[in-house]
Amino acid sequence: MTAASKIAAAPVAQDKLRALGIMALNGMFDEMDALGVLRQAATELLAGDIAIVSSFGADSAVLLHLVAQVDPSMPVFFLETGKHFPETLAYVETLKRQLGLINVTALHPDPADLARFDPDGTLWETDPDSCCHIRKTEPLEPITEQFGGWVTGRKRFQTRERGVLPHFELTSDDRIKINPLAYFSDADVNAYKAEHGLPEHPLYAVGYKSIGCAPCTSIVAEGEDPRAGRWRGLNKKECGIHFDFNGAIAKPMAATAELKLFKDGAFTADPFRAWAEGDDPASVRYTHVPLPEFLAARDAFLANPHPLGLLVSSGDKVENVEGDLSRFASIAVRFPAFTDGRGYSTGRLLSERLGYGGELRAVGDVLQDQIPLMRRCGFNAFVVEHEPTRKALREGRLPEVSIFYQPVGTTEVPLGTRPYLRRAAPATR
Amino acid sequence: MYRYDEFDAAFVRERTAQFSDQVNRRLTGELNEDQFRPLRLMNGLYLQLHAYMLRVAVPYGTLSGRQMRKLAHIARTYDRGYGHFTTRQNIQFNWPRLKDVPEILAELASVEMHAIQTSGNCIRNVTTDQFAGAAADEIIDPRPVAEIIRQWSSLHPEFSYLPRKFKIAITGAPADRAAIRFHDIGLQAATNAAGDVGWEVWVGGGLGRTPMIGKMINGFVPNEHLLAYLESILRVYNRYGRRDNKYKARIKILVHEEGLETIKAQVEAEFSEVRGGVLTLPQEELDRIGSYFAPPSFEDLPATPIDIARETILDPAYGRWLDNNIFSHYRPGYASVTISLKPIGGAPGDATDAQMEAVADLAERYSFDELRVSHEQNLVLPHVRVADLRAVYDGLVEAGLAEGNAGLITDMIACPGLDFCALANARSIPIAQAISHKFAAPERQAEIGDLKIKISGCINACGHHHVGHIGILGVEKKGTELYQITLGGDGTEHASVGKILGPGFVADAVPDAIERLVDVYLGRRETPDEPFIATVRRLGDAPFKEALYGTT
Ligand code: SF4
Ligand code: SF4
Repeated sequence: MTAASKIAAAPVAQDKLRALGIMALNGMFDEMDALGVLRQAATELLAGDIAIVSSFGADSAVLLHLVAQVDPSMPVFFLETGKHFPETLAYVETLKRQLGLINVTALHPDPADLARFDPDGTLWETDPDSCCHIRKTEPLEPITEQFGGWVTGRKRFQTRERGVLPHFELTSDDRIKINPLAYFSDADVNAYKAEHGLPEHPLYAVGYKSIGCAPCTSIVAEGEDPRAGRWRGLNKKECGIHFDFNGAIAKPMAATAELKLFKDGAFTADPFRAWAEGDDPASVRYTHVPLPEFLAARDAFLANPHPLGLLVSSGDKVENVEGDLSRFASIAVRFPAFTDGRGYSTGRLLSERLGYGGELRAVGDVLQDQIPLMRRCGFNAFVVEHEPTRKALREGRLPEVSIFYQPVGTTEVPLGTRPYLRRAAPATR
Repeated sequence: MYRYDEFDAAFVRERTAQFSDQVNRRLTGELNEDQFRPLRLMNGLYLQLHAYMLRVAVPYGTLSGRQMRKLAHIARTYDRGYGHFTTRQNIQFNWPRLKDVPEILAELASVEMHAIQTSGNCIRNVTTDQFAGAAADEIIDPRPVAEIIRQWSSLHPEFSYLPRKFKIAITGAPADRAAIRFHDIGLQAATNAAGDVGWEVWVGGGLGRTPMIGKMINGFVPNEHLLAYLESILRVYNRYGRRDNKYKARIKILVHEEGLETIKAQVEAEFSEVRGGVLTLPQEELDRIGSYFAPPSFEDLPATPIDIARETILDPAYGRWLDNNIFSHYRPGYASVTISLKPIGGAPGDATDAQMEAVADLAERYSFDELRVSHEQNLVLPHVRVADLRAVYDGLVEAGLAEGNAGLITDMIACPGLDFCALANARSIPIAQAISHKFAAPERQAEIGDLKIKISGCINACGHHHVGHIGILGVEKKGTELYQITLGGDGTEHASVGKILGPGFVADAVPDAIERLVDVYLGRRETPDEPFIATVRRLGDAPFKEALYGTT
């Protein structure tokens, strides 16, 4: 397992093999051997290519203590969002001193972003996704590119969504996440703290169990999920930075604008924006690039390291970008009028024939009566301008015929009594 | 005939609920007319000159007695006591109220009927030979495949918003009674070298303002791959069909502008991708659907000749009916009966609720409970014992449906025209009625023989005037209704499009003009057996033109 430090640069074709290697590593350590896991990562798997982002929250001390034992010079980044409790900032200093960490860097948001998107510091209130985006995601992004591996403090027990969490994970952008505390419970954390005499976050004692930015953290009741205190009432569970590093991370948008992107059963903030005149192919990010623009500057787009989307208009042939589809985190298919059904064919070609598996969104004239059809043709996201349609989606009230005669799409489980529907596509697909 | 299973029933129920919701949203104003239009059109609901019109699908024109009774009930309860059978083998109700429509649909669903895709830019009801499963000249009964196409095309998510409407016709016989060469896709049964039955695929035919005869795009597609082949054509059409101009949006224009070879290459490329995939139709499925269309329990009867001459002496009207309205059946001792919906002076295709009930009775008693609607706007009892013909005839006399004019000059097709249709330039039903009166005398009709007159109230050609031996087209010139006359159209396997003879006539002059054409034919035919269309082909337009416009 020593040759694995080339991981970050390995070609895509070896994804599977590498994933298997990671799986194997996951079996090598005792569940509670956090130190062993971290040492393996820091000294063999990713020597010199590993870092940690710490929130310096209520239970950050344990992980930082482990880091200090393995390598006190391991880079530790702290997201200085500008929204922390003063107690947290004091705690950073306490831990640095006491654990002997010698490489702690504070990451600050870009003042230009703050001036533009959050001039009065209230963005967290109206659009926490965007607030996190400019205060966490953006500052972190240039840093994540520099390291092949990241240590996290995530634990299985913390929320329901984290029920399964291995020690080693491969992210979709070819980085490795190390989760030494994956199997630690609340009690384990406390026991560890006690055993090693680690200082407590000053706010822990007054009822804060999971501590992030001040505005977004509240006291957790006895027996409640510790992270329930974060973003309370805002219907937001995860901060963007815990997603895959190229995952769905919110982008600032006008605070008052209504959310129009419907995805995974809810309206969410849209990290993407439309292509604009004068955008630079080498540096745009979170933008749906029109297909002809993409073809015109294909090399520059392919060299661009940022997440990108593709915009397919009615007359465009998706076959022309067949080989580049995996480059796009999102593909938007435009329906110029709901009566223009070309997008349905495009959706099926992308999802069924060309094997595109990412976000496939319908944009343009998207109305409730067509959404069920769009879904069947592979669309999994909808940008909805029509208010009655948004209302219907919010209420889960789509006029839909739920049984089908004809096999369409990759996931339709043929049911009912149409035998030819039950035949699987041949293996040559 | 096909019977719904639970799946079909649930499908129609859900679709009815879905449409009811859409109607309610329209009634409450949540949907405006622009947003409602495409939705109602997907369900056969048009806004006509005076009222909504609801078009109910009669899949491939096949009905049971129970279904016909339900149509009668709807005509009586929600309409003005009649329905109109169309050239696409459907039935239209001209006066339903919007708020009643969900209820009508629920009534229809109770007898396995619906209005799904009887309009809108989607794949319409599949039409076929009205004698399917009965005709003596048939290679194969096309209805099982028609049913499978119906299922495949019902609420197809990819093809619900095509550039334009899309019509498929299928026939299992070499004599084309379904006008497959004038459909977006026409399917004609064919046999390959190995003796397997498959389908000749014709594409790009159509009437309307640019009539075109379909072109053969594939000479043999086996059953197994038919759906994949259809999906390939539809996908090419959906992606590349013109959407900039609704008059150029039919597939016939795409085929015409791009050329058959280009379209064929695109279709074949698409086909090579989908062929053998999920749309592959297993023989077991075809057999399963086919079993619904198994022949009824025919008796073993001797061939029973009908002595028309004798019957004509005894009862001329009955003799005429036998001569014209009987079609030969593949089983000895049986015949198919055409019930003419073209009484002299009546509106072509109309039937009252009482007539529908009477026809349902006859079907139940004498035709194994089966009925057909023909694209020539008549009804058919497909399987009648020759020995029962007189009883059927007597029943029809009582119902006022015994006109023995099938295929004759008074068996006209006419679109609804200005009496109902918002798009019309001119009346068509009154023209049909006037011509019908002119040629009312049975002896005269018999002398003329086979002659198809087809009348459209405007260039949209719903009355199929292009394929009438004589076609009549209503146009509007400076505020007056005029009628152009075309000659030489043919919707069968000898497909041709009629040619305009010259300037239009005012309504009153039309019957005389037709008479002059007929006189040319009677005077110039080589033998009494040479039909009108053959004489026209032999002589060309000139003598007919001269008869209408003189020599200049
Ligand atoms: S946690 Fe709250 S304050 Fe902090 S960056 Fe996110 S939204 Fe803004
Ligand atoms: S041909 Fe014209 S007038 Fe006649 S029904 Fe069609 S659209 Fe209406």
